[in-house]
Amino acid sequence: MSNVSLGAIPNAYLPEPAALDPGSDGNGLDFGAVLKNAVNNVDQINASAGAQVSNLLQGGGGDMTSVMIAVEKADVSFQLMMQVRNKIVSAYQDIEKMQF
Amino acid sequence: MGMFDMMQISASALSAERQRAEVTSANLANAETTHTDQGGPYVRKEVVFTATSGSLFHSALNSVGGLAQTPAGSVRMTDVVDDPTPAIQRYEPGNPDADSSGYVSYPAINPVTEMVDLMGSLRAYQLNASAVSAEKQMIQESIGILKPS
Amino acid sequence: MSSPPSLDVLQGYLRLVSDRQQMIVANMANVDTPGYHTKDIDFKSALRQVMNSGGDAQLEPASLELPGLPERPDGNNVNIDREGLMLSQTQLQFQLGVQLVKGQFSQLLTAIKEG
Repeated sequence: MSNVSLGAIPNAYLPEPAALDPGSDGNGLDFGAVLKNAVNNVDQINASAGAQVSNLLQGGGGDMTSVMIAVEKADVSFQLMMQVRNKIVSAYQDIEKMQF
Repeated sequence: MGMFDMMQISASALSAERQRAEVTSANLANAETTHTDQGGPYVRKEVVFTATSGSLFHSALNSVGGLAQTPAGSVRMTDVVDDPTPAIQRYEPGNPDADSSGYVSYPAINPVTEMVDLMGSLRAYQLNASAVSAEKQMIQESIGILKPS
Repeated sequence: MSSPPSLDVLQGYLRLVSDRQQMIVANMANVDTPGYHTKDIDFKSALRQVMNSGGDAQLEPASLELPGLPERPDGNNVNIDREGLMLSQTQLQFQLGVQLVKGQFSQLLTAIKEG
């Protein structure tokens, strides 16, 4: 799963990418960092679950219950991330609509 | 180890008990056999079961090779041995298998004993078959974690 | 314990129940093996360990021989009735664990969707 690219939203009202960097100034919007973190997290959990499933399928003496739980955790994490993404995108759209 | 190894263990028991039943049935069928190809009466056979030794739990050694290894705790029939009990002598001078004094050697097989053994095999078989059902159910339960509940 | 068990604790619990099931299955398979003694794990203390450590322990419970079972002439002390009973019990324990796990995930999903 590749990173969602926020720069893909073509709009002059988008804040400069620099403002997304949490290190630039204390009031910067961290949406990018938050989303990036969430995606990385899900990537990791997915990879771990994938490896466990692989192992199980190849007949490695894996504990099947743990694998099932890991897979479900990955699924739930993914759903959480999707929700976070949806909220963030919707927040952006709200900001866009603001007339200055 | 895990659930598939459990099924292998139970399967090994089903196989061993079936073999035991076969030997017991042969004993029953030949309870009156006074003459075999090897000469002399049929000799009662017994089975020897051995358990596969080793740690029953997840260890690095057990997971190498996956399902190919025989899991610890499995049972197998390692030997079929002759019963050393001497043959029963019955006085039947008219029998073609009688020896010079008119005695015929009969196998030292008591049908009652064999029937009891057979029932024991059956009971053990049923026990392990129910274990297989239980294991299957557990695997299905595990898979059910993924389904939307 | 006031809060419901965490996913990790439940995972440890299920693992323990599954381990116990292995012992029972091996006992059943060896009901006719001469010299074989019934094996079991100390479920209570292992479970306590799992709950105390929050499900973290990579636990390998020790397989112990169950004392107090009479031996038959061939040295085997496996009791068919006991194993049958224990099989049913562990089956139910496993089902319980899985239901609790499903419940946890269901809660999480609800929270995510309606948050």
